[in-house]
Amino acid sequence: MEVSYVPVGEALIVAPVGRVDEATWEEFGTHLSRGIDQASKESRDTMVIDLSRIEYMSSRGLRVLTLAKQLARAAGVSIRLALPTDVMREILAISRYDKLFPVDRELPAGSAK
Amino acid sequence: MTDRRTGEPVKVRFWGTRGTLPVAVTARQVRAKIANALRIAQGQSFASDAEAYGFIDSEIDFAAGATYGGATSCVEIDAGEDAFFICDMGSGLQELGRDAAVRCRGGRPKKYNFFLSHMHWDHIMGFPSFLPASDYDSEIVIYACHRDAEEALRRQQEQISFPSAFKFWDAKIRFEILEPAEETDVDGLQVTAIRQHHPHDSFGYRFRNAAGRTVVYSTDSEHKVDDMDSEASFVEFFRGADLVICDTMYSLADSNSTKEDWGHSSNLVAIDLCHQANARRLALFHHDPFQDDEEIQRMHEDSLRYEKLSRDGAPLEVLCAYDGLEVSL
Repeated sequence: MEVSYVPVGEALIVAPVGRVDEATWEEFGTHLSRGIDQASKESRDTMVIDLSRIEYMSSRGLRVLTLAKQLARAAGVSIRLALPTDVMREILAISRYDKLFPVDRELPAGSAK
Repeated sequence: MTDRRTGEPVKVRFWGTRGTLPVAVTARQVRAKIANALRIAQGQSFASDAEAYGFIDSEIDFAAGATYGGATSCVEIDAGEDAFFICDMGSGLQELGRDAAVRCRGGRPKKYNFFLSHMHWDHIMGFPSFLPASDYDSEIVIYACHRDAEEALRRQQEQISFPSAFKFWDAKIRFEILEPAEETDVDGLQVTAIRQHHPHDSFGYRFRNAAGRTVVYSTDSEHKVDDMDSEASFVEFFRGADLVICDTMYSLADSNSTKEDWGHSSNLVAIDLCHQANARRLALFHHDPFQDDEEIQRMHEDSLRYEKLSRDGAPLEVLCAYDGLEVSL
């Protein structure tokens, strides 16, 4: 799974690419843990997960988001989701994960377009 | 799966589909459904019941024209092997008992095999109202993986809770303890159990007949967010099933946050497990008693959409169980 980590102001933007399903959920979780660790070490209070290049996420991927949220809380980092595709927006609504996480329509100011 | 005697398809009947506590549609809700139907009909007249039912089926959605019901967990697997097979004893068992008594008048043997997922109140409360237990000719075998199943059933009929003690039942009643993962032949069906995550544990059951047709009953089963590796055993348990009946009480978000450790699962996890297992049908089951018909219908519609989005092979038919639903396999 291709993932980029880009610091922008107080936030770290983590941008994974592809599908998060039964084959990739563990790798996705590893990347999120790495992002939380980096944000915490760099004293950034927010990790933004850029969903614009995530095609699909299964229940396992969503549950990895829950685990990441727990990990982030312990590290003093909050997690926000951003730019979900139409499919991802639908999945977040069906799972009610749009009630668990703030979902932004844009990335933090200063992010590369 | 067909009845050896008649060649008819085997049926799974849902007598109770609600979780936690029985609920009933109120007079106000019934009036609202009728008023809505009259508005939609716009003064049409119907010459017969058949015409009226046709209108309901074509013009009114399920939540508006019917109800998912409110009796708690009770599912009959009518395998046509003479004996009755009944999963759990929720409040839906009262109606099953009445119906079974009528069927036995036609000569069907009065043998009742129960399979208990666990002994929480909503899963055993129907037994004190089970009419065949008052019949000297009935034979009742209660299969459970919990060694304290008998204690729980006797305790709910102690005088502080119920006027008549368990020991006064006229039927011949015995308890059989099953071990998880060990296949047992029960009156022609092969039965296997699996331990599930739920307070005081619960157990799912897999029923397979001689032709290989399979029904899985898996309710009150939480799939923990921090133990996803263990789900492989459930994928195997559901493998190739013709019907999987799954606890889908909460949304995925609720089951992982405010309702974590309450011992229940979600529609999304059930669909993913069934897809991985190549199951043919999923019945959404153990509905939240705080949800009304419209909310349950929305959950069903969401589930249908997620099944489509997540499909990576053969389609999974997603049914939403309701009291009175009969599924032919």
